[in-house]
Amino acid sequence: MITIQKGDIDIGELVSDAKRRGTGAIVIFDGVVRDDDITEMDLEAYEKVAVNELENIAREATEKFQLLHVDIIHRIGRLSVGENILVIVVSAGHRNEAYEGSRFIIEAIKAGVPIWKKELTKDGGRWVHGEHKHGRGTERHS
Amino acid sequence: MRRAQKTKEEEDMKVKVRFFAQFGELLGSETVVEPASGSILTNLINEIASKNKEGYDAIFDEKGTFREFVILMRNGKRIDISDAMTTKVSDGDEIAVFPPVAGG
Repeated sequence: MITIQKGDIDIGELVSDAKRRGTGAIVIFDGVVRDDDITEMDLEAYEKVAVNELENIAREATEKFQLLHVDIIHRIGRLSVGENILVIVVSAGHRNEAYEGSRFIIEAIKAGVPIWKKELTKDGGRWVHGEHKHGRGTERHS
Repeated sequence: MRRAQKTKEEEDMKVKVRFFAQFGELLGSETVVEPASGSILTNLINEIASKNKEGYDAIFDEKGTFREFVILMRNGKRIDISDAMTTKVSDGDEIAVFPPVAGG
């Protein structure tokens, strides 16, 4: 399943579904809202483009690491500290492919999928600056 | 110079412009405009962004060119900011303008 959704994610169900013929390892990445002195986090996506790009990333990871199954579920909307933001479930024949495939997917998401986070604090809010810059310069911090 | 009378094609031309994250907060998340035929992408965004100084300054530098971190998409495909000055918008286009992504 590749999707962007508001609701929470049933990781146990995803793991059960990821067991395919030949599965020897399943790696789960669960990104959660960290308590960086924030009250909540607001996530926004350019949904149709983001889903498209997540599907491309899953396809590329599957080919590159011989994955047997990939789930990527990214949440949007208002989330509290400790809630799941992103769950990636990767199934492969062996652990190396599963670990590498999972790492490839999370790094690709951070590099280019149009999703943004705003950390809400008691004094207001601040947009999280991406780790990767897309232009030729650096972002102007206001 | 605009002709006094628009052709049917010009009258019907509609372009959706979407701003995301801080750009959306400052300029509104979505606007539909009816640009003249042959309108250039940079000029179109410049005109829309001009309604809010903070929003304009977030996207454009003092020379009126896109800040280098700004990402542009036309119908879901990236457009390099250096090509935006020569890219004409078409009827039905969806243009997206956003800062670096921060998902995951």
